[in-house]
Amino acid sequence: MKRYIYINDDDLAQDLYCDNRISNRKYTIWNFLPKNLWEQFSRFMNQYFLLIACLQLWSLITPVNPASTWGPLIFIFAVSATKEAWDDYNRYLSDKKANEKEVWVVRKGVKKLIQSQDIHVGNIVWLRENDEVPCDLVLLGTADPLGLCFVETAAIDGETDLKTRVIPSACMGIDLELLHKIKGVIECPIPNKDIRRFDANMRLFPPFLDNDVCPLTIKNTLLQSCYLRNTEWACGVSVYTGNETKLGMSRGIAEPKLTAVDAMIDKLTGAIFVFQIVVVIVLGIAGNVWKNTEAKKQWYVEYPNEGPWYELLVIPLRFELLCSIMIPISIKVSLDLVKSLYAKFIDWDDQMVDLETGTRSNATNTAISEDLGQVEYILTDKTGTLTENKMIFKRCCIRGTFYGNENRDALSDVELLDAISTGSTDVIQFLKVMAICNTVVPIQSKTGAISYKALSQDEEALVRAAASLHMVFVNKNGNVLEINFNGLLLRYEVLDILEFTSDRKRMSVVVKCCLSGKIFLLSKGADEAILPHARTGQQTRTFSEAVEQYAQLGLRTLCLAWRELDYDEYQEWSLMFKEANSILVDREWRVAEVCQRLEQNFEILGVAAIEDRLQDGVPETISTLRKAGINFWMLTGDKQSTAIQIALSCNFISPEPKGQLLLINGKTEDEVCRSLERVLLTMRITNTEPKDVAFVVDGWALEISLKHYRKAFTELAILSRTAICCRVTPSQKAQLVELLKSCDYRTLAIGDGGNDVRMIQQADIGVGISGREGLQAARAADYSIGKFRFLTRLILVHGRYSYNRTAFLSQYSFYKSLLICFIQIFFSFISGVSGTSLFNSVSLMAYNVFYTSIPVLASVLDKDLSEKTVMQHPQILFYCQAGRLLNPSTFAGWFGRSLFHAIIVFVITIHSYAFEKSEMEEVSMVALSGCIWLQAFVVALETNSFTILQHLAVWGNLVAFYVINLIVSAIPSTGMYTIMFRLCRQPLYWTTIILITMAGMGPVLALKYFRYTYRSSKINILQQAERLGGPILSLGNIEPQLRSLEKDLSPLSISQPKNRNPVYEPLLSDSPSATRRSIGPGTPFDYFQSQTRLSSSYLRNSKDN
Amino acid sequence: MNSDTPSSSAGGTGSADTTGARRNSKRPKYSRFTQQELPACKPILTPKWVISAFLLVSVVFIPIGVVSLFASQDVVEIVDRYDSDCIPAGARNNKVGFIQGSQVKTCNRTLRVPKRMKQPIYVYYQLDNFYQNHRRYVKSRSDQQLRSPRNENDTSACKPEENANGMSIVPCGLVAWSLFNDTYNFTHNNQQLAINKRDISWKSDRDRKFGKEVYPKNFQNGTLIGGAHLLDPSKPLSEQEDLIVWMRTAALPTFRKLYGKIETDLQAGDVIDVTLENNYNTYSFDGKKKLVLSTTSWLGGKNDFLGIAYLTVGGLCFFLAMVFIIIYLVKPRQLGDPSYLSWNRNPGGH
Repeated sequence: MKRYIYINDDDLAQDLYCDNRISNRKYTIWNFLPKNLWEQFSRFMNQYFLLIACLQLWSLITPVNPASTWGPLIFIFAVSATKEAWDDYNRYLSDKKANEKEVWVVRKGVKKLIQSQDIHVGNIVWLRENDEVPCDLVLLGTADPLGLCFVETAAIDGETDLKTRVIPSACMGIDLELLHKIKGVIECPIPNKDIRRFDANMRLFPPFLDNDVCPLTIKNTLLQSCYLRNTEWACGVSVYTGNETKLGMSRGIAEPKLTAVDAMIDKLTGAIFVFQIVVVIVLGIAGNVWKNTEAKKQWYVEYPNEGPWYELLVIPLRFELLCSIMIPISIKVSLDLVKSLYAKFIDWDDQMVDLETGTRSNATNTAISEDLGQVEYILTDKTGTLTENKMIFKRCCIRGTFYGNENRDALSDVELLDAISTGSTDVIQFLKVMAICNTVVPIQSKTGAISYKALSQDEEALVRAAASLHMVFVNKNGNVLEINFNGLLLRYEVLDILEFTSDRKRMSVVVKCCLSGKIFLLSKGADEAILPHARTGQQTRTFSEAVEQYAQLGLRTLCLAWRELDYDEYQEWSLMFKEANSILVDREWRVAEVCQRLEQNFEILGVAAIEDRLQDGVPETISTLRKAGINFWMLTGDKQSTAIQIALSCNFISPEPKGQLLLINGKTEDEVCRSLERVLLTMRITNTEPKDVAFVVDGWALEISLKHYRKAFTELAILSRTAICCRVTPSQKAQLVELLKSCDYRTLAIGDGGNDVRMIQQADIGVGISGREGLQAARAADYSIGKFRFLTRLILVHGRYSYNRTAFLSQYSFYKSLLICFIQIFFSFISGVSGTSLFNSVSLMAYNVFYTSIPVLASVLDKDLSEKTVMQHPQILFYCQAGRLLNPSTFAGWFGRSLFHAIIVFVITIHSYAFEKSEMEEVSMVALSGCIWLQAFVVALETNSFTILQHLAVWGNLVAFYVINLIVSAIPSTGMYTIMFRLCRQPLYWTTIILITMAGMGPVLALKYFRYTYRSSKINILQQAERLGGPILSLGNIEPQLRSLEKDLSPLSISQPKNRNPVYEPLLSDSPSATRRSIGPGTPFDYFQSQTRLSSSYLRNSKDN
Repeated sequence: MNSDTPSSSAGGTGSADTTGARRNSKRPKYSRFTQQELPACKPILTPKWVISAFLLVSVVFIPIGVVSLFASQDVVEIVDRYDSDCIPAGARNNKVGFIQGSQVKTCNRTLRVPKRMKQPIYVYYQLDNFYQNHRRYVKSRSDQQLRSPRNENDTSACKPEENANGMSIVPCGLVAWSLFNDTYNFTHNNQQLAINKRDISWKSDRDRKFGKEVYPKNFQNGTLIGGAHLLDPSKPLSEQEDLIVWMRTAALPTFRKLYGKIETDLQAGDVIDVTLENNYNTYSFDGKKKLVLSTTSWLGGKNDFLGIAYLTVGGLCFFLAMVFIIIYLVKPRQLGDPSYLSWNRNPGGH
């Protein structure tokens, strides 16, 4: 399928394809009601309640007033519908804002300002610098004479560096004025979501050049939501619009997420439903048998001899209605209510406010807080999530001298400043390389301040650092660079740029000094790409030690080198370079080969160390959550060595010398397969040892693994607690989430960029960091937080509490409805199995909706352990992860409790209100009071911490029960008239109630006490510890060890050579294509640095406290 | 987590607001509620607390049990089952036929007073195996009709006894129709023993539920005998106390309903002759009929259940308290001992 786009053809453009209106809405005004109702009724519970409500309309079988079901049902539906409508309205508003943004578009040959939504396919759109691209465009022209422009694609792939885009060759050199009138046709694929491919052709109509077909690639496009940078203007023809853009296509519809707790509740509901059906069938049969044998003799019942055809159904249906309260209609309302309160608590939390920007945490999805407490896997993006995405030049080593230490950056190191002012040649040369060897574009604003635009953050950091060391890169004028060193203006002409590729791992520039005419080769690159090519005689040991030391600090290292070139040598090489560059086959390889010829005999200048600063508290967060039993996977688009370095510095692998990295890679299927199997084998072996094994996989190997060896990879995923996946695409991220989900793990994806959106939507919980890369991720996410470290609190505090509270609330809801239902069932045995309801409609409704729902709502304030204890013992999260508080067996406990309590209430009531006192209304109220008292005490017993609100809710509710019933008893028209007054005056009533309460609660209390004291769970132990002796530290905590570690190992003293344990070495270093697979310069797997970091920050924290 | 953070940040907000920085305008004021930091008391189940609670319960419950048992013992109760004895020997094979026939059904019973009975002595009739709580039965009544003559035809709920010969039955429904109609006469020392049949029903029922202007009417005379056709058509429903009592349906299939009160004391050994009209058919469903004379205590009639239950629960609590004390002494266990935390023993494992 192809799409033909006629450029700038106003007549054709109108109807063929959709306009640029973006719509994320789910409903329209017209389809809202039917669609919403349909969605709501697709849930089993709602269908059930509807069925019950309909059955109740049949007065022959209904035990109670139909209003008791219809009222709550309508209320529930109205609430959900309103919420949906409100959400959709907000989506509409944000769409509207995007749609009504104004852009310049050529209409009938004239530039006009129109709303973004009116752009049609084929229109020519003009953009200015820093404009957001409104739809997918094919570039036609830019301000740059070479037809280049820069875009920031963070919203699409999350990469923050600038990318170059170039206009198609056919459009090269078209005059600015003529761009308005350009005509032509573009043949392109139908809309798809592949953001890396765009295989199209363009043919311009005369008079524009010839009729040749010009091929287009993704390099010629500007995709929706990118930003135009560093380019004064650009224009392009729209090819995909509205929801058909590449971004729009890959957006995907976020499916409503169901928490594990919800799933469990649904399962339990199903079980209860089955139980209910069994009860109904049994009682229905019993009722019919009793009717035919006994009731026929009961003349006063006057059963007709011949009933209608449905007679056999009447009694079962009556029981169905009687038992329908087994599945509490209130549970949905209660859960929705408490869930939105959990979300509010997250919004309100003052400890999760990013004080720098003032961003609060926000729970967009209010329904899934419990899942936070059950997270088993965290899949995290790297850049911007773990790191601040701010590269900072930290240290350097020039000719064996180390500048910068842990107190001071190199930038403020006095020694270095001295060296500069004294004019040490090495240092100055070093700075020159920093300033020149790059592709950075300096931009001088009107005020004179210089800002740098760079493709790579590393280069920007170097240039900035050089600038602050008085080597200021001032201007780039064509090929001439101007550098201001201490007021001295130096000019260099760039002759060639030997670009960076991931194979060469270095980049170089050839410059000619305008002053002396000398030609230099300036290079920077990874150590293994530079150091081996040092000139003969130069000692590189210092440098490799420096690299190693810096890498241990988690810094990214670059080696800087230079060489002076002979004019002849350069001339000769230059020819070869040009030739290689124009070659058509294997160009990249040829170019690399030619570059290699020049890039040798380096005079090594030194090593620069750059920090992509970790966000505050990242290592602590990771180690805390890891202790909580959460597995971490890092998914990054970055390259392997960087990813591993960051992983090292942020405790990605446990801080003990037992880490091991396994690499999966290979170019071909076979290689990947072999590699994968080997890793799997190692993993199986080491799995029994207390060793932290992580595997590293890159995008390509991942692609192959997922496609062909899914099973093996899945096994690996299950075995491995840690994984680092580098060079992965957004869709691969989503696939990995999918993979883990398919193994029944609860996954949390956290990211900050547009490239994380799909993974965030895919995961059970998506967390977005509202960071530098815009709000894309935060908007798509279920939770948005300001900093990675808030994740600890989000999971351990909010997630855990939410889980605990919901676990209690849901089981309690079943308990209380089962309780009253069992009583009804027991009563049916003494009422001729005829389906009489012991309780009247008002009581039943109020019981479910009011008496028992209010106290339990206060449990949203319940805290089993204090936040501090949980933070100290994150392992306690295991109880939530494993679902220890809500599962069939705990539910069986509650089921048993309700059965026991029902027996107590029923037996005591009918025995103490026997004979002359067995009046229906009175017995009913006694039983109901018994239930209310019991449930109040059950809530009290299960509450771990009583705030004033809980006291109010529990005991106030008890009082309210009496007040309400006394009021109802004062109304003559009700069946309950005077009943409560009579009861309250009877000593018998109170003695009965006390008896019920004690008989019901005594055994429960005894059992709980016994388990609490002699079969205590970890939670119990911590509760006891917390409340009796203040907070305790784990014996096995790492903090004490760390302190001692820090004593004998200060970060500065790392320079001693490492006696490496073979364990640290990657196992698979013998794999064929790998030269050196470990982290860049063979950074060993040790964690001394991260440990000290951790401990020092720990000390800092403890001081603050 | 630094505990100072919230308060300091809140302070920051306040000052920011005054300086006009509205960035954080959405930020709610710090409150203990929003931070989930309301002061809370966190009780835990310490042995001391639990054991003393159980002891306390047993200390309170056992006396109450004893007192209620005494109260129950104080009540003097005479129960006389007469349903089978009041069938003439010849009719024993066909009790239902007898009760539905038109013979004279008078029956004489003799009751002996075992202990002194102080007035008021309540006279109950007790029915066994009679399902007043059957769904068909319990719903078959019209409270509207009972309340006011205007609602005379409001009989839809009363099926199948809603009308006779096209006229609405008042009071309609199975409950009213099946009114108990045995009558008792007591003689003591050949003297008529007065039975006060006033105020045997709930006052609230007389005042509010059963209308003063509603008169019974339109009763059919079917083959099956309920008692309602015996109602005096000249008395308003509010004065038909037997009906009012009857219409307070019982929740259990065994129940007693008040027939009247004897307002003289009876001495131990007194003999009371009862002349009763055995009209009511319990024979079709093997129901029992009993005549009960009973005094009352603060807890009501004779019922040992409460006393025994209190003693049981109290005893049980005492037993549990003892068990817990013994366990506590034999196997003391330090609460909150961190060495019980498994991750302290084998790190990383769960």
